[in-house]
Amino acid sequence: MTRLTRRLYNALVLAALAALLFSLLVYVLYAANLLGFPYDYDQGEGFEVHDTVLFSRLQLPYRDTEAYPFYASNYPPLFHIMAAPFVWLFGPAYWYGRLLGFLASLAAAAAIARAVYMEGGRRKSIAALSALAFLSSNFVYHIGPLFRQHIMMVAFETLAIVMLGRAFPKRDRRGIAVALLLLICAGYTKQLAAISAVAAVAWMLLRGPKRALGWTISFALAGGAIFAALNLASDGQWWLQAIVANVNDFDREQAFGLFILWFKLHGFLLMPACLMLTYETYFDRLSLYSLWLAATALLGGIASGTWGAGDSYFVTSIAALSILSGIFFSRILGGSLKLPRQLRFLSSRSLGAGMLLIPLLYLGYARATLKLPTDGRFQGIADLLDVEGNTRENFYDSASFLVGGYAQIGYFLTEQDRAAGDRIVELIQATDGPVLSEEAGFTIAAGRDVVTNPTQLRNLDLAGHFEGKQLIAMIDRQEFGLVILRALFYPPATLEAIDRAYLHRDTIHMNGFDYLILYPRERDED
Amino acid sequence: MYGHSIGARSAAALYSAAESDYTRAMSENREGLTKRQLGIGLAIFGALGFLTILSIDLLDAGRQGGIGPAQSLALLLMAALTLVGISLIPLGDAPA
Repeated sequence: MTRLTRRLYNALVLAALAALLFSLLVYVLYAANLLGFPYDYDQGEGFEVHDTVLFSRLQLPYRDTEAYPFYASNYPPLFHIMAAPFVWLFGPAYWYGRLLGFLASLAAAAAIARAVYMEGGRRKSIAALSALAFLSSNFVYHIGPLFRQHIMMVAFETLAIVMLGRAFPKRDRRGIAVALLLLICAGYTKQLAAISAVAAVAWMLLRGPKRALGWTISFALAGGAIFAALNLASDGQWWLQAIVANVNDFDREQAFGLFILWFKLHGFLLMPACLMLTYETYFDRLSLYSLWLAATALLGGIASGTWGAGDSYFVTSIAALSILSGIFFSRILGGSLKLPRQLRFLSSRSLGAGMLLIPLLYLGYARATLKLPTDGRFQGIADLLDVEGNTRENFYDSASFLVGGYAQIGYFLTEQDRAAGDRIVELIQATDGPVLSEEAGFTIAAGRDVVTNPTQLRNLDLAGHFEGKQLIAMIDRQEFGLVILRALFYPPATLEAIDRAYLHRDTIHMNGFDYLILYPRERDED
Repeated sequence: MYGHSIGARSAAALYSAAESDYTRAMSENREGLTKRQLGIGLAIFGALGFLTILSIDLLDAGRQGGIGPAQSLALLLMAALTLVGISLIPLGDAPA
């Protein structure tokens, strides 16, 4: 690089860092905004709060859904166990689960930076850009600060893969054991981590088949023992609720649509990551990161098409592509790619001014993943960037809705949203008896039982494992003081019973959704 | 003389460490699969996968609609895997 090129390169790197730091600022503000909101933001968060409450009481959430309160969870236990001590200290609440999720995303970003720094020749700026790129992804932004276990799974996976990638070639037994333990943690945080486990095992077999076999057997035995213990402790409900009820319909259009969205947002770094994968396939040894990217992009992407899945299923692949693209750029800059004569033009010396493309790609990525509030202090920046609110009237998100399964979240909540939630809680408190609510947050806040988990009942019903006689009888007898519906996820027979016995009298708008408030019908009332 | 003796020992220690690193790196390289082995494995896996997906239609005669979009995608993937596998075979004993 000439002196001028070097100066230009440094200026562009600073610009890329500034752009991605701005994205981080929006992410931090979004997380802070969510921490203060005491109700569901993303559908299903309240049920994760309830799972945590059950674990804090040393109870399992894998239960018989035919008996009151007809509740069961389909998620593995680790994230809720991690949050359970907070219940002892602060009671049931959303903020600590959201905080854990946010911190998990930062931990994953730190692991990405370390991997790029160590494997890419200790280039701090590229390591920082890679970590910030991960946090700037719209998909990471959406789910990071939620009371959901997904981002915690990604953090465990990333830590495991980064550790295994270094420990296995060095025959570092302790490092390998810790990495595999972290993978087990990821699997018992969310089942989707099985894809990362497949990539890890395949890579170990590629690098050292004999040693890999021993480690894989130990890994399977440890994972299997926990599985058996959970199944035994829950009297078989773990298998039914977490495995059988998790097999959902596949929507091809949803998967294709999310693939397109994923590419549109992350293409600037995905292409260099794919070049690194190709380079390693033909000119170097395949790294764990390459196999990880291939497996998580392909299998995770396909899995995103199942009912209840969505854009979050790509988040692990975003961690992989952030690492792989960062290593690729670092090695180009360091001239450490072992290129054949025909491809030597890709070396740093030959590229010269072409090196400027590296920070430009990060700048392009920052623009592709842009999201920000468009009012208040951000209005000037929004005007400058010529963007208008598209998710809500006061929030712009480049990842606009394309297909089902896409999480339409990311905007900041207002006092009106909180007031609407408080109003629903007041309505619950004004009634006697249990309340049937599609979101658990309201009943938790009102100090009532959490009755049913509608998506779980739907899944069990579709799998032929839910009759719901007792629930329907309670609805017919109008034993619930109130029914609160949002997405009508209950099984058809349950919805029909609700329609027979309850009447829609009020609608409360909160957080972009309409909550339908139903009261018991009077006799002869239509 | 004393200094020279220390220097010789240091050199021997350095040489020994370098040799151990080299031996470890060499054994690591020898330990894993080669590009040829990986290529053959991928080619066989891809070809078998391709045939299996194709045979679903032949065996499941009652099914309507022929090869669907998801099946086409899987066929494409298996074909690509086979081609990548074949392209790796000429790379011989290079570590995969």
